[in-house]
Amino acid sequence: MAEMTRRDVLKIAAAGATAALQGVIPSPAHSQGTQKRELVVAQGGDVAQFDPHMSTSSNDIRISFNLFDNLTSRRPDGKLAPGLATEWKLQGQTTWVFKLRQGVKWHNGDPFSSADAKFSIERTYDPNTKMRVNTVFTTVDRIEAPDPATLIIHTKKPDPLLPARLGFYGGQIVPKKYLDAVGPDTFNQKPVGTGPVRFVSWTKDDRVLLEANPDYWGGRVDFDRLIVRALPEMAPRVAALLKGEVDLITQVPPDQGERVKANAGTLVSGALYGGLYVLAVNSKRPPLDNPLVKQALSLAIDRETIVKELWRGRGVVPSGPIAKGDNHFDASLPPLAYDPKEARERLRKAGYKNEEIVIETTAGYMAGDRPMAEAVQAMWRDAGVNAKVELVEYSVRAQKNRDKSFKGLWWSDPTSTLRDPDGMMWRLLGPGGPQDYWRHPEFDELGNAARFSVDEKFRADAYRKMTKLSLEHFPWIPVIQPYEDYGLQKHVEWTPDPLQQLEIRRFNFKFRRA
Amino acid sequence: MHGLLPFLGSRLLRAAVALWLVSTVVFVVMRLSGDPVPLLLPPDAPRSEIFRVRAELGLDRPLPVQYVVFLGNALRGDFGRSIHFRQPAFRVVLGYLPATFELGLTAFVLAALVALPIGVVSAVRRNSPVDQVTMGLALVGQSAPTFFIGILLILVVSLKLGLLPTSGREDWRNLVLPALTLGAFAMASIARLTRSAVLEVLRADYIRTARAKGLSEALVVAKHTLKNAAVPIVTITGLQFGTLLGGAVVTETVFAWPGIGRLAIQSIYNRDYPVVQCTVFLSAVLFIVINFCIDLVYGLLDPRVRSS
Repeated sequence: MAEMTRRDVLKIAAAGATAALQGVIPSPAHSQGTQKRELVVAQGGDVAQFDPHMSTSSNDIRISFNLFDNLTSRRPDGKLAPGLATEWKLQGQTTWVFKLRQGVKWHNGDPFSSADAKFSIERTYDPNTKMRVNTVFTTVDRIEAPDPATLIIHTKKPDPLLPARLGFYGGQIVPKKYLDAVGPDTFNQKPVGTGPVRFVSWTKDDRVLLEANPDYWGGRVDFDRLIVRALPEMAPRVAALLKGEVDLITQVPPDQGERVKANAGTLVSGALYGGLYVLAVNSKRPPLDNPLVKQALSLAIDRETIVKELWRGRGVVPSGPIAKGDNHFDASLPPLAYDPKEARERLRKAGYKNEEIVIETTAGYMAGDRPMAEAVQAMWRDAGVNAKVELVEYSVRAQKNRDKSFKGLWWSDPTSTLRDPDGMMWRLLGPGGPQDYWRHPEFDELGNAARFSVDEKFRADAYRKMTKLSLEHFPWIPVIQPYEDYGLQKHVEWTPDPLQQLEIRRFNFKFRRA
Repeated sequence: MHGLLPFLGSRLLRAAVALWLVSTVVFVVMRLSGDPVPLLLPPDAPRSEIFRVRAELGLDRPLPVQYVVFLGNALRGDFGRSIHFRQPAFRVVLGYLPATFELGLTAFVLAALVALPIGVVSAVRRNSPVDQVTMGLALVGQSAPTFFIGILLILVVSLKLGLLPTSGREDWRNLVLPALTLGAFAMASIARLTRSAVLEVLRADYIRTARAKGLSEALVVAKHTLKNAAVPIVTITGLQFGTLLGGAVVTETVFAWPGIGRLAIQSIYNRDYPVVQCTVFLSAVLFIVINFCIDLVYGLLDPRVRSS
């Protein structure tokens, strides 16, 4: 998701906006309770697709995860909970049996059954449907729906992460009967799901109107209507929150967060991003093929300062290639060290001959990408690295990503879609993956074995060893695990989600009533 | 009227050439600047998938072939299917046009209504405090970036004074700030040019004659000056309407106004070739039509234009 599609904010001259926003007096205090029956959310871009299998963009999934349900539900606390499936178990090595929730109805009144679930998952990888999530269920061999309440999924090899895959994008369950009747185009314009809100209308580039599903199996949501507005510029988005026009805004950068906090009626709430911001390394280009050079580069980055100064404390220093909050994150590892003296020493040992080392950065694709690149460049120069920053446009980056033609290092914000190293480190850095620039036989063997093992102890051990290898060879130089901050009215009780879902179901969203 | 037909004919020919040039430039620039496919697919999409989608979109064919197909279809009004919206590009763009027209026309009318009287008054009362203040403001309006004016208006008028909504498109109140923002540059240019055009005419011999005849100053200005100053004023006013479309890109983004300016920006980011091509094509058509109308108005205002 994050790699390609989190380009929500159009940057035209955001710097000017930021400067202009400083020094405006906060609006008068709002009362901290509300009579509201309408939740208004503003995000950085409009929805593009309602068909959940046609998109992985955060602007789309904020809506699709509420129009639709998955078999399993990934909660904001990172845990996997029952969704349309009430329980599931592994039989043998490759057979998963799911018990499905009974009495659930689609928004058009049709009953939900295992046939819908089978159809939905098969639809994602059916080459004729041309869905954009067709890589999510590549481990699935075949699916059976022996009765309306049971779904059996056979995987080609053992897949310990199948329930996690079902909980994220691609896993939304769509209505077979309705889709067969109206076709994919109409479905994409008038979606029908089982989720807590149902579709009413969409005014392109302006707003999506949704209303509460009164019969929702998880309880009726705490509002009658949900309006999702597209406010592409950050400064007007913050202004709309401060003025009380909207209840919740996405993507609040740290400097704006302080303004939102200073205002009497609003607050900032953040989730530690389910992923990392890393400098990915083209380890095929000398001198980056030398592990000592990469170790020196990592040692020369003062991450504490980056977190404190550029992020105003809204982030943590990573300890390795596994994000905090993921399975097999090793809490005993220390944060990555800053030691410029040792960095110089390793450069000397590596026989570094002042070769130019290039960071190709985007401006605004990832929060703080360009300022961070410039800070890192300065830190590297201080340690004796001939570092250079080159600015590339987003689509150029996408092209380079595809052609694997980066000159040195570049920003990547890998998302841990399964909250497991397999869905992040191994998916991206593994052989044939989108960031396959470095191979190590032991790393490959462990990654492959962990992917197909249902023994969590074995997997934990494998990821510990892979972490150690990656901290020696640095296919990624992790820099920060930031918070993803949202601005809220104080009458909103809501916990943000590390994977950018907008979870507004009963258990996670409440208006504080006056 | 014998001059009108060749006049129309040459204008139409020029318009066609301009449209062809614009479409070709956009076609080439868009294709040189990046491939939409990596933007459409998840980062871990296999190469085979990338090639499949490229083929599906016809992007695997040689550029000249794509170009010929594009031109042939465009002639029939078919701009292809939007890569991002998966709908005919023309329909997508049409859906965004009303919002832009609403904003553009309001901004234009606002600009003209304010700027023309100001320009005339400033010229007639040259170097008076009124002239100095309004022309000072016009200078600011012309030099301040649209983005800055927009954010400033939001902060002061919406947030601090609480008078108008910050953004969106609901009722007339949502229209005021974006129309002011968008119209600011046009307003300033029209006011300044009106002033200089009127000043120029005021120095002419026939004005001295009119005054010598004993006509009242009001009559001199209204009857003798304005009509003669009209040609440059009509030109700048018409051209400003065209540039309003360009300014809409920024204004619509700042105020979350769902028009073709925002559509264009997003489509460029998404490398949604068909939508960008269609947007630019329609904007070019509009610009050409406006120019054409200005030329026709010239003919009405000044018979010399037709015969030349």
